Amino acid sequence: MAEIALAEPAVQSKRVAALRLDRRHLLGLVLLGPSLVFLAAFTYWPVVQVLWQSVHAESRAGNVYVGLSNFAAIFGDAAFRRALSNNAIYAVGTVVPSLVLALGFALSLARSNALNVVLRSILFLPVLVPLVAAASIFLFIFLPGVGLLDYYLARLGIQGANWLGDPDIALYSIMALTVWKNAGYYMLFFLAGLQAIPPESYEAATLDGASPWQRLRYVTLPYLRPTIAFVLVIALLNVVTQVDHIFVLTKGGPSDSTNLLLFYIYQQAVEHYDAGKAAAATVVSLSFLLALSAFSLRRMDAGADMEGGRA
Amino acid sequence: MRQFLLKGAMATLLAAALATGAAAQTKTEIELFFPVPVDGKLARDMTTMIKEFNEKHPDIVATPVYTGSYDETLIKTRAAIKAGKPPAAVIMSANFLTDLVIEGEIAAFDDLIQASGKTNDQFMAQFFPALHANAIVDRKVYGVPFHNSTPLLYYNVDHFREAGLDPDNPPKNWQELIAAAKKLTKREGDRVTRWGIMAPSNYDYGGWILQALVMSNGGRWFNEEYGGEVYYDTPSMLGAMTFWSDLVHKHKVHPAGEQKGPGVSTSFLSGQSAMMLLSTGSLTHIRDNAKFPYKVAFVPMNVRNAVPIGGASLVQPKGLDEAKRKAGWTLITWMTAPEKSGWWSRATGYFAPNKGAYELAEMKEFLAKNPDARIAIEQLAYAKPWFATYKTVAVRKAIEDELQAVLSGKKQPKEAVAAAQKAADEILRPYVEQTALKLPATN
Repeated sequence: MAEIALAEPAVQSKRVAALRLDRRHLLGLVLLGPSLVFLAAFTYWPVVQVLWQSVHAESRAGNVYVGLSNFAAIFGDAAFRRALSNNAIYAVGTVVPSLVLALGFALSLARSNALNVVLRSILFLPVLVPLVAAASIFLFIFLPGVGLLDYYLARLGIQGANWLGDPDIALYSIMALTVWKNAGYYMLFFLAGLQAIPPESYEAATLDGASPWQRLRYVTLPYLRPTIAFVLVIALLNVVTQVDHIFVLTKGGPSDSTNLLLFYIYQQAVEHYDAGKAAAATVVSLSFLLALSAFSLRRMDAGADMEGGRA
Repeated sequence: MRQFLLKGAMATLLAAALATGAAAQTKTEIELFFPVPVDGKLARDMTTMIKEFNEKHPDIVATPVYTGSYDETLIKTRAAIKAGKPPAAVIMSANFLTDLVIEGEIAAFDDLIQASGKTNDQFMAQFFPALHANAIVDRKVYGVPFHNSTPLLYYNVDHFREAGLDPDNPPKNWQELIAAAKKLTKREGDRVTRWGIMAPSNYDYGGWILQALVMSNGGRWFNEEYGGEVYYDTPSMLGAMTFWSDLVHKHKVHPAGEQKGPGVSTSFLSGQSAMMLLSTGSLTHIRDNAKFPYKVAFVPMNVRNAVPIGGASLVQPKGLDEAKRKAGWTLITWMTAPEKSGWWSRATGYFAPNKGAYELAEMKEFLAKNPDARIAIEQLAYAKPWFATYKTVAVRKAIEDELQAVLSGKKQPKEAVAAAQKAADEILRPYVEQTALKLPATN
């Protein structure tokens, strides 16, 4: 996708001369104009600014070009490496469970009947709650000693944990909240994907004597491949772009144990007041995102082609 | 985070829209950025106060803009300054002033003070001496103390009686504190049903409570005269950190891991902890919600009685036009005069920085009725400046990360204070190199 975006302007500029007097194209450009202006002002210009800031350092004398030293500084920073590894654990620990759960929910609630509609709505409910609000609710659930979780654990005679204050547990508490929040959303995509599977395929499989497990493995999952790839991209983007709950629950603590990339960027920008390092960290996380999206979308294309070929 | 920024932007827009709608042409419109740092209903009280100001000053329209926590208020103020629309007054955490002055973001009030016919010393004389160091940088007045606090020891009187302790004779030093906390801790098998003592160790709060322990241990934490030095790898810090660690790991009277401020007060209010170290700013919240008799006392000491101040001062960013600057100053002096200072103190639990507030009849009556508020003021005699350095938040986090690791049993105090010193020195280095280590070149 990135390649296409880069290639387009070059192709356009070659054609511009030929098209200059073509009224239909002019109209098209005029209609596109407002969006292009906004896209340039709010997407591409900030990207350029971030790239520029990432190789400069602010000082009292003004901005100085410092080459790659901002990048060297963040990779030398233990907090940044911690944020990177936290983000990796967080990615695996939230994406896999929420996708598996979402698929499970979708499979068991695929049939449309009154009960399933109610159950689907219940599972979808966490999606409707803004992440900030959800985090505030979980602040009380996780409260050590008096929180909802510890209250019920105490009734069972179990000593609760310091869910958000123990560096060994805090990240997993945050991950539990994230899975709770996102599974219902991904379920929606899987439900839509399941509707698109032709019933004949199941009939054929059943006639061939396929067990339920075999039907899932050889009919459902192959048909769902494009959906899975798509949901995977969305889920991975969420991993990098959502930190509202970190902000509310832990501020990256204790001892940086729940610090994620985006929160690290925030800390550099506003706590350390270091725009250069913040920009460098932004560039790093943006490149991750671009690479991930490009890779997943290519795989998705490949998957779709394969399905097409098979059909 | 995006949602937070968005909310801030929307609130500002709304406030701006309201202000333009209401104002006649001759009126000066100003904004006041205010945080709500502790429990309670402070936002409503602030709106009431500004409404009264606007009624009494027909030529000024002040709009209160809620800006979140202390840390978020700093961020939003800096964003507003960068956007070229600085507010005329900000209630700023008192320990951010040094950093704001170093970065050249706030203006000194000296000319405005002189215009009112006073010297800086005469002007500051109306406030408690303990507050001066956090408001004055290099002999210039940058902040006017608005509401202030110190850490206090809160304790549950019922629990004291039940454990055979005298509620009129609370622990005065660390040894008595440990002894009392041991008696107050209750266990069911391995499970603790009541902690002897709790203290918050989350970012921001943890550093402040640790400073109280360091000061009670004879330490200073930072160089009050120069923003480039902190004393983390020192005996006073090591002792304080070890003491807190011992409460958790050795005596097992304090829960392990990081504790958050609201978690500590909730635990105390629900009877799951018998004592807590918390801000005087929470007094009103505890008074309104405690369903049992409680008392407060000085923070127990090891070497000497000493606590840091906390709270906020009113500051004014640079880059305001003359009319807004003067209107902002009018608001600031009105809010910090004895009458309003006292009213705000009674509404929140913070003590009033203006000494004159305690001469007023309402305040005398209030203190007679609420002896806990009196203890908070008496402790003020032992109060010292709050740590304030270049990049205060980052320097503070350097030791808070280590404190949290110690309380979680991940590190020993000795290696923790050394690591904190190293991290803090690294953050302070650019400033130090431009100041204390910028030496005349030889030859």
